[in-house]
Amino acid sequence: MKKEFPRFILGLAAAFIVPLLLLIVVPYLQLSSVESVKYAETDEVDNAWAYPSVWTGANKDGEKIYASLGCAYCHTQMIRPTYAGADMWRKGWGGNEADGLARETQPEDYNNDQHAMLGYMRIGQDLANIGTRHTDRAWYHLKLYNARTQNVDSNMPSYKLLYRKQPLGIKSENALKLEGRFAVEEGYEVIPTEKAEALVDYLLSRKMDAKLPGQEKQEEVAEVSTAK
Amino acid sequence: MSEAMQEASAQDVQERAAIDRSVRFPVLFFFTSAAGWLFLATLLGFASAVKLAAPELWDVCPTLSYGQLFPAHMDSLIYGWAMQAGFGVMIWLMARLCRVEVKNAVTLITAGFVWNVTVLIGVVAVWSGYGNSMPWIDFPAYLWPSLFLSYAVIAGSLMMMFRRRREGDVYVSQKYIFAAALWFPWIYATANLIINHTGGSAVMSAGVNAWFMNNLIYFWFVPVGLSSAYYIIPKIVGRPIYSYQLAKIGFWALAILAGWTGFNRFLGGPFPSWMPAISGAAIILMILPIGAVAVNFLGTISGRSSLMRYSPSLRFTVFGGIMFNLYGLLIAFSSYFEVSRLLQFTFATLGFDIMIIYGFFSMVMFGAIYFIVPRITNCEWPSAKLIRFHFWYSSYAIITIVAFMIFAGLAQGGAIDDWSGDFLDAVRRGKGYVVALAIAWALISMANLAFYYQLLMMFFGWGRKTDGPTLIHKNPGEAESAEAAAGFATEETAKA
Repeated sequence: MKKEFPRFILGLAAAFIVPLLLLIVVPYLQLSSVESVKYAETDEVDNAWAYPSVWTGANKDGEKIYASLGCAYCHTQMIRPTYAGADMWRKGWGGNEADGLARETQPEDYNNDQHAMLGYMRIGQDLANIGTRHTDRAWYHLKLYNARTQNVDSNMPSYKLLYRKQPLGIKSENALKLEGRFAVEEGYEVIPTEKAEALVDYLLSRKMDAKLPGQEKQEEVAEVSTAK
Repeated sequence: MSEAMQEASAQDVQERAAIDRSVRFPVLFFFTSAAGWLFLATLLGFASAVKLAAPELWDVCPTLSYGQLFPAHMDSLIYGWAMQAGFGVMIWLMARLCRVEVKNAVTLITAGFVWNVTVLIGVVAVWSGYGNSMPWIDFPAYLWPSLFLSYAVIAGSLMMMFRRRREGDVYVSQKYIFAAALWFPWIYATANLIINHTGGSAVMSAGVNAWFMNNLIYFWFVPVGLSSAYYIIPKIVGRPIYSYQLAKIGFWALAILAGWTGFNRFLGGPFPSWMPAISGAAIILMILPIGAVAVNFLGTISGRSSLMRYSPSLRFTVFGGIMFNLYGLLIAFSSYFEVSRLLQFTFATLGFDIMIIYGFFSMVMFGAIYFIVPRITNCEWPSAKLIRFHFWYSSYAIITIVAFMIFAGLAQGGAIDDWSGDFLDAVRRGKGYVVALAIAWALISMANLAFYYQLLMMFFGWGRKTDGPTLIHKNPGEAESAEAAAGFATEETAKA
């Protein structure tokens, strides 16, 4: 064995290093240098010159809050292609079908994120395109404050720590419209904190349905979704 | 096992006693702190399952939301319990098999202390909302160097023991321990560097995360668990392993395949499509090494399986081995698109992870702990009844969790796959199963309380002071080994 020992070590190292290089390091370097691709004129895309468009770090705070609350343990942000699941066919999941924009998620979609929150389980909805499904900030705030305000059967935790209850002065514009058993006592209102606003900003930015440069029109998907 | 080991001469016995004395404190330190963490982890598992069933419960306290309880539960289960129990078993097995005394007990305990403190800070941080939603690696970024260093000290001592070993054949358990000790720091450092310290591809940090999870399973949990099973099973059955050649093939097949797994968690994900494909293929091929282990264990045990009735160590180890094989088959199945479209991202994911961490690894570790602790404390487990209680409650509960989570996954995945239906159907269908999950974790907590109690008794030297091990279904002193209890003729006793 004394002679075999270097061979043993070499074997262990090779077994580890080969996949490390081929599966992690090389793809990592390749995917890290992905740059925004410009649209050609034939792509017929309005108001955008490249995908993904580069924007500043306004949503980095939102992503941090999303991560620290553990949202990714119940929500995925990943739409599988049709050979791997029916995600794209579910209304709104693949994107804005009305404009023929539904598609599976691509590596470029996450370029503006710190980490892609692909997720662990789908105890709740997929959020890859939540920003196209819901554009009303108040909807998000109600959902985060207590999801039972919208769906009795929802099992999403209520994130009251993101909201502040304060005595009613001049009625705040962004106060939550709480009714029924969720209403607060007379003379008080509930308003979102900065954290809640940052989180909603992040969620509103989840739009992974833009047409990719050079992408053909996705007839099939459009057909299925208009059939609904 | 070599001939020399079976010759239990007086000198051998003395030598073994000296080795056991030298590892006593570090091994006991790791076992007792691991058992404490295990109890906490199962309580957190219970609480997180309750929160899934009743989301508005304990609403006033923000840290009691599922999103924070669940990662705290998994992290304390993995870093608090599983890895520390593994350290204890690795140190004892390595010392025993290499026939060397441990000379740096204080260093090992110091490293263990640092490990515990770091994990404590990490779990509290995740629990109170400073995690990063990266499963199993969600401690704040500043903590990983400390875990890395304390691991390096432990792994370094294991490797030094291997270098100092007495001449003789190297047993497969030693190889597994050496390999696991070597591999983990690389995986851990790579994952942390890419996720926490480089501003590169966002989507690859999710990919590296999945790769880390599967590498932790196949490069650490599986080798350490198997090293223990390859020792315990032949030892208690009283014959050498069925085929050494097969063990060797299994070892290298695992080593070659393990590094390619991980991306199968994101089948159809936003990666170049060869990456999930190659991981799925590796997972399916993994049936080969797992099958090799199954054949080897079955061949070793066959004809003597009645020993399981009496020996707690064998019972736990064999249960773990069965779970390991089932896991291999189920996870291979779920790497096919037809299955993964239903099971991916459902409760089945959780079921599979619990199956390998708890059903296989933890149960094998319990087996090893029931074997090791009497030898290093010179007293026997106080109560066979409590061991039985621990075994049955754990095994029933773990089977419940795995089975219910897979069925929940099918129900939930079916509802999501039915794309024209209401998404809330998936939530509604999962609800009943979640209650079962909570009950199962409560049962496991009770079982582990019994385990912790017995372990503390042993720690303080309050065990039974008789010769003759604690055997299930036998009164103390009635039989001097499981072999004798099962009525097999023994030339050399199992106690060694």
